[in-house]
Amino acid sequence: MGELIIEPWIVDETTHDFFVPEYIENLAHQVLKHYDLSVRNMQIITTKPDKGGAIWKLDTKSGPKSLKLLHRRPTRSLFSLGAQEYLVKVQAARVPPIIKTKDGKNFVEAGGKLWFVAEWIEPLTPVSKDLEGAKQLCYALGEFHRLSKGYVPPQNAEIASRLYKWPKTYEKVLKKMDWLRNIAKAYSDMPASSHLLNGVEKFEQQAIQSINSLNQSSYYDLVQQGNAYWGLVHQDYGWSNGQMGKNGMWIIDLDGVAYDLPIRDLRKLISGTMADLMKWDTTWVREMIAAYHEANPISPQLYEILMIDLSLPNEFYKNLKEAVYEPEVFLNEQTAQLIQTIIETDQSKWPVLNEIKDDWKGVKTK
Amino acid sequence: MKILMIGTEKLPIPPILGGAIQTYIAGTLPYLSKVHDITVLGISNSQLSDQETVNGIRYVRVPGMIFEIYKEHVVKFVEANKFDLIHIFNRPRLVLPIKNVAPNSRITLSMHNDMFNPEKISPEEATAVLEHVSQIVTVSDYVGNVIRELYPQSSAKIRTIYSGVDSERFLPGNHPKMQKRRNEIRKAHGLENKTVILFAGRLSDNKGVDRLIRALPDLSKKFKNLALVIVGSRWFSQEGISDYVAYVRALAKRLPIPVVTTGYVAQDEIQNWFAAADLFVCTSQWQEPLARVHYEAMAAGLPIVTTARGGNPEVIIEGVNGFIVKNPENPKGFVDAISAILSDKSLMKKMGEEGRKLAVSKYRWDRVASELLKFWADAMKSSVTELKDINPISFEQPEQVFMTKLKDKVHAQPENTKSKESEKKKSKKDQKKLDKKLKKEQKKLEKKLKKEQKKREEKLKKEQKKLKEKSKKDKKRKEDKKKKSA
Repeated sequence: MGELIIEPWIVDETTHDFFVPEYIENLAHQVLKHYDLSVRNMQIITTKPDKGGAIWKLDTKSGPKSLKLLHRRPTRSLFSLGAQEYLVKVQAARVPPIIKTKDGKNFVEAGGKLWFVAEWIEPLTPVSKDLEGAKQLCYALGEFHRLSKGYVPPQNAEIASRLYKWPKTYEKVLKKMDWLRNIAKAYSDMPASSHLLNGVEKFEQQAIQSINSLNQSSYYDLVQQGNAYWGLVHQDYGWSNGQMGKNGMWIIDLDGVAYDLPIRDLRKLISGTMADLMKWDTTWVREMIAAYHEANPISPQLYEILMIDLSLPNEFYKNLKEAVYEPEVFLNEQTAQLIQTIIETDQSKWPVLNEIKDDWKGVKTK
Repeated sequence: MKILMIGTEKLPIPPILGGAIQTYIAGTLPYLSKVHDITVLGISNSQLSDQETVNGIRYVRVPGMIFEIYKEHVVKFVEANKFDLIHIFNRPRLVLPIKNVAPNSRITLSMHNDMFNPEKISPEEATAVLEHVSQIVTVSDYVGNVIRELYPQSSAKIRTIYSGVDSERFLPGNHPKMQKRRNEIRKAHGLENKTVILFAGRLSDNKGVDRLIRALPDLSKKFKNLALVIVGSRWFSQEGISDYVAYVRALAKRLPIPVVTTGYVAQDEIQNWFAAADLFVCTSQWQEPLARVHYEAMAAGLPIVTTARGGNPEVIIEGVNGFIVKNPENPKGFVDAISAILSDKSLMKKMGEEGRKLAVSKYRWDRVASELLKFWADAMKSSVTELKDINPISFEQPEQVFMTKLKDKVHAQPENTKSKESEKKKSKKDQKKLDKKLKKEQKKLEKKLKKEQKKREEKLKKEQKKLKEKSKKDKKRKEDKKKKSA
């Protein structure tokens, strides 16, 4: 469709929330012409201006739909769209069905990106922000992982897989620790720098430990099973992308799915939730894992990997890796406080991991 | 003899977009074409015509960028034309398909990096390739030895021919042709009266310029008036700046000495930066084939500090034209090596002169060409192999991941030479226009960068606000608890 190439756009004081450049709005209308929908109204719901993505809610004769402009490379988006279709059509999973174009396709290519329309699931309500809610999320996640097994992407899609990349990812965490140390030293006059150094001293050792554990684990054997065996991770799962619908939990926003060991999603959900609690809690962690296990059984080997992934200084890394960008802004009082909180929260992590590490000993999976 | 030279699917020949292989071909062609009837097959580019004959050399350009597409066109061309010898650059995976359509031609290979590694070519195909090529030439002993280790049977077929440099273009800063440019550059960038340390290369973890930057605080305590020049184009990239570049920038910002970052420098201007410098440092952390910058620095009469990685040390005579840093992970190695040079002005001068001498006597293109001619003559003496059992040999892309490899992997894999998206795009009549365009894009990217910074700040603010609220709540919770327990 023409020569236009969609690029990220600038938002500032002069633009309203969810501003989308006019040429993209126009493209959206062009895209809709490929669908057999009578759209009464369309409303922008969210944007990713820095990446060039957007979502609209469509009010149509046949009910509410979503129109998405996917910011990723088209071949990458093909992988995710294929997954969404597989989950709905083959596995009857509770993820939004894709609406076909007039000529029977899953998407429209415009402005160098892929666009697609899917059902807008209503009503959806977030589960409660307590242990019960967390367990519901975990169960739904397990279900999602189980159903995603066996997915084979379409021919022309690129293979999005993180399955073999764990060692590299772990090494990167360790490498960044050194970067952060050097940044803290170069910016020693900033309020957060001494805290950052403290954090690095502590968490660098943890990262080394995690790498050693991973190298000695069954990781290398497990990944031999291959991508399709393990299925997909969502990569952005939590209280907003897993919500309760009429007939159970729905999982939305599948654009970032990739092959991986499934427990990485679970690990993220657990460590993120503990960060929100500002304290690690054995009961929460145990019950979250148990809820997941019920829907997608975790083998003792996989449990071991989960423990190792939990041992990585995930929260420190996630929050501090940005320090290499503009340290003269980032390393302020608030970041100092943030590091303190992370260090304090980490204190309670180790007794919990220690307590649950043998939970799977002797457990047999079906 | 009718000879076909085949480039890679990545960059066009002549090297209007740079590239080590393309520079190698362009550097030797004037000499090779005097002896043989040469055709150069490469990828098409909007600045170049698809078929032309220049100075007696025939150029044929076909679609590329993606290997499979390029292969198809290459095979089609070879099928329709006859050559005595076909010399393939750095793509062993072209050998069998070509052999298949040119059974009577000798095939030789020129290896510039790790394309024989198992994740690049399946051992099955590699074995067949090594059987059917007459000879293999590599750009360093290191590259050859890696192939030998993988496939010992190939040993006798491999020889090293070091690459070369145009020593009339890369000249010392005190050369009459260069003095003016040297002074202009130094004046324009505030480098007058400075001792200029030069790094030229990609800004990536592999290339390790961060180690040099971390060595500079110590060095600047010992030596007055130091300055660092970084010639490399990845300060800004399409996807915003990478975390590595951000890291390097943040470190550089805090250096007590001036740091000049040139961004993209046009191919025909790079020699000026070498002429403007006083000392050249290569900080590579990875097993590098052998970086061309060493030849260029030598020709420019610069003392060299390089690392004991890959083929780099092969062109350094320790203490004569430079020093080799044994443990390049540690910045201290660079402090010591650079100090040894800077603290002895006569040694520094001597090293530069020795480098220039070496470049002129050993690393000129005419020498590369004459070795290549000898190599081809030898290849013609070998017997033509017969391609049997072609069917069972898989031409497919090898599995991307070799688990054993993954487990043992310590050093990062070299990146393929990629032409930048921006460089690919659109027709430009000449190099200057391209240069202008790139500068413009850089400005655009700077703008984007600012925007990104603003975004990050906002995100930070938001997160910190959240944190504040959290800690407030937490405090309240604690207080409530206290009250309760009280």
